[in-house]
Amino acid sequence: MSLEAEKNTEQLKSAASDEVAIAMSKVNKWFGDFHVLKDIDLTVFKGERIVICGPSGSGKSTLIRCINRLEEHQNGDIIVNGTTLDSNLKNIHAIRSDVGMVFQSFNLFPHLTVLENCTLAPIWVKNFTKSEAEVTAMEYLERVKIPEQAAKYPGQLSGGQQQRVAIARSLCMNPQVMLFDEPTSALDPEMISEVLDVMFELAETGMTMLCVTHEMGFAKRVADRVIFMDFGEIVEQNTPEEFFENPKLDRTKLFLSQILSH
Amino acid sequence: MTDLAPDIGNRSKFTPKPDLPPPPNTTGVSGWLRYNLFNGVFNSILTALSIIAIFFMVKAFYEWAFVNAIWEASSRDECRISSTKIGTCWAGVNVWFTRFIYGRYADAEIWRINLAFIIFIIWMVPLWLPKITSKIFIGLSAVLIYPFLAGYMFLGGERGWFMEVMVALSLTCFLFVLIHSLLCLTTGLGLYGWIIKVSGFSKKNEHQHKYPVIGFTLLTVAVVAFLINDITFKYMSNNLWGGLFLTLVISGIAIASALPAGIILALGRRSKMAVIRVLCVAFIELFRSVPLITILFMATTMFPLFLPGGMVINKLASAIVAVCLFAAAYMAEVVRGGLQAIPKGQYEAAEAVGLTYWQATVLIVMPQALKFMIPNIVGNFMGLLKDTTLVSIIGLYDLLGMINAVSHDPKWIGLHHEPLFTAAVLFFIGCFAMSKYSQHLERSLGAGNNR
Ligand SMILES: Nc1ncnc2c1ncn2[C@@H]1O[C@H](COP(=O)(O)OP(=O)(O)O)[C@@H](O)[C@H]1O
Ligand SMILES: [Mg+2]
Repeated sequence: MSLEAEKNTEQLKSAASDEVAIAMSKVNKWFGDFHVLKDIDLTVFKGERIVICGPSGSGKSTLIRCINRLEEHQNGDIIVNGTTLDSNLKNIHAIRSDVGMVFQSFNLFPHLTVLENCTLAPIWVKNFTKSEAEVTAMEYLERVKIPEQAAKYPGQLSGGQQQRVAIARSLCMNPQVMLFDEPTSALDPEMISEVLDVMFELAETGMTMLCVTHEMGFAKRVADRVIFMDFGEIVEQNTPEEFFENPKLDRTKLFLSQILSH
Repeated sequence: MTDLAPDIGNRSKFTPKPDLPPPPNTTGVSGWLRYNLFNGVFNSILTALSIIAIFFMVKAFYEWAFVNAIWEASSRDECRISSTKIGTCWAGVNVWFTRFIYGRYADAEIWRINLAFIIFIIWMVPLWLPKITSKIFIGLSAVLIYPFLAGYMFLGGERGWFMEVMVALSLTCFLFVLIHSLLCLTTGLGLYGWIIKVSGFSKKNEHQHKYPVIGFTLLTVAVVAFLINDITFKYMSNNLWGGLFLTLVISGIAIASALPAGIILALGRRSKMAVIRVLCVAFIELFRSVPLITILFMATTMFPLFLPGGMVINKLASAIVAVCLFAAAYMAEVVRGGLQAIPKGQYEAAEAVGLTYWQATVLIVMPQALKFMIPNIVGNFMGLLKDTTLVSIIGLYDLLGMINAVSHDPKWIGLHHEPLFTAAVLFFIGCFAMSKYSQHLERSLGAGNNR
């Protein structure tokens, strides 16, 4: 964490506006008989950065995957940038091209070069020409600090580099919202910080971000709000200061003690 | 404790021990022989017996096929008379060889078949040259557009307006592939690039680049259509087609259609729509559980019964349809295997960036899945090439059909062994080449595998 970054933290905290980016109300989801998401109510404002944590299996991934319809919720409403998510394919595609997602396992396209990974969706979804898309892609690859790897294939890169390419790939679609599902969990310890740095810089640009992560340092530094989930419910949510200093529920305290103790 | 600790006291610096040669008689030819053939008394006896057996078989074959062979004769009886020992009568194969390859196609027109095959080979060659771009277009045009040209060259006769256009388009594509390949090899810029450059569109928006290309293509098609307007080939009805030529036509069409049809069926089998899924599963399971010969008989004898009265369908056409359906069902299973090798994360990443189902399938899933499938696909093609011989049973004169025909020729009556041996050699060459090529592909894709 650089000193300058430390200083920026204060002004970061005020970036959120009062325009709504994502509104979820009374969202429920089941996998078969298993009730994964229970009455989720969550409003995310534009520019807000939210960190979601909670024990494994508590439904964090499912929650953010519902936002871009990788999972289908069964009842309740999800409105993203004013568009309601329903089975209308047009709405789904509109939302997906506005919402970027970064996965735990990177999921880069192994048969395409780094540059092609980044230009594919702009060309096919946004109708960019190849050269336009390449210019944008190189800009974002520079932002994530790997322009020199553009001609390589994902398999030739380290995990940290792959995850940064994945972030650049999402950014090339110029999304309004970025979803991160444990972006650093599959990485070797020495590579975690290079990805977190990129995410931190992204936060500085005022991007709306929802991050499922157990990197509590990142949460303290960047988040406007920390959400704690357990058994498919949002159990507690608060500013990071309050959340880490004065957790209200015993369940939260226990979780925090487990996660911070090692 | 002191016993276990490595003695490093007098070795302050690490120097690797020198490489010593292996013990004698474990490497090289003598080592291999000793280890594999003569390790122990029992093995040595077995080896000796096998060598003797192989020697006598090869000797007998050599005498039969070459020493006592008759190369020139006008009938089988003449063969018998001129040799006192049992030997081959290659004379029969010699006389019939052109028929084995081309069936009853008129001798004067055989050049059309040869030319069509040569065009095909030239069309495909650029796919193997590394410098050439737009390989997808070259490959697709060879599979989708070339058949019209070949079809006309084989069949001949009058061309309707549709065939006129398709033959012209096909020739245009061939011309483009040739020019494009030469341009790529000499200038490094393909035909597409040159058209845009010469037409002065390079400064315009890329979305407009297609206009000069489409314009140039249409113009060329028109010119070609005008030029070939007066050229017609003699009509050669498809019941004159035969031999290896017919085998390649049937299996070629089946191979070319099996992959796309197999992909559609395999995708249908995974579809979320129950009706499509059930139909695809039913089709695949039906055609996989019935022998090809049954399907062939059904296609040629039963299917015409269901047609409205008076409608006759060509035996060759129904055989081709039957082989294609059979091949598609098998290919669907190969494709399914390839699709299963693609991790779920690839679909999710494709969806998450906003690609539609078809975009994700064509751009992300299929290119990766095809890589996994290549060995199985080639294996399937080899099977198909050999299975095609079954059409001889429903009375088509493919290679095997022609082979049988020799033994019914009054002059060569009963001549079975030599023609069959010839067919075996021809099939072996084809299949062995395919198998070697697939091994090569597997290795080169494995080496360049970018995971
Ligand atoms: N596709 C699925 N089918 C059935 N159960 C699932 C599926 N995906 C997740 N689950 C279950 O839902 C629960 C929540 O999963 P998830 O959202 O991935 O949790 P988290 O990300 O918090 O670890 C888990 O118990 C998991 O086993
Ligand atoms: Mg998870």
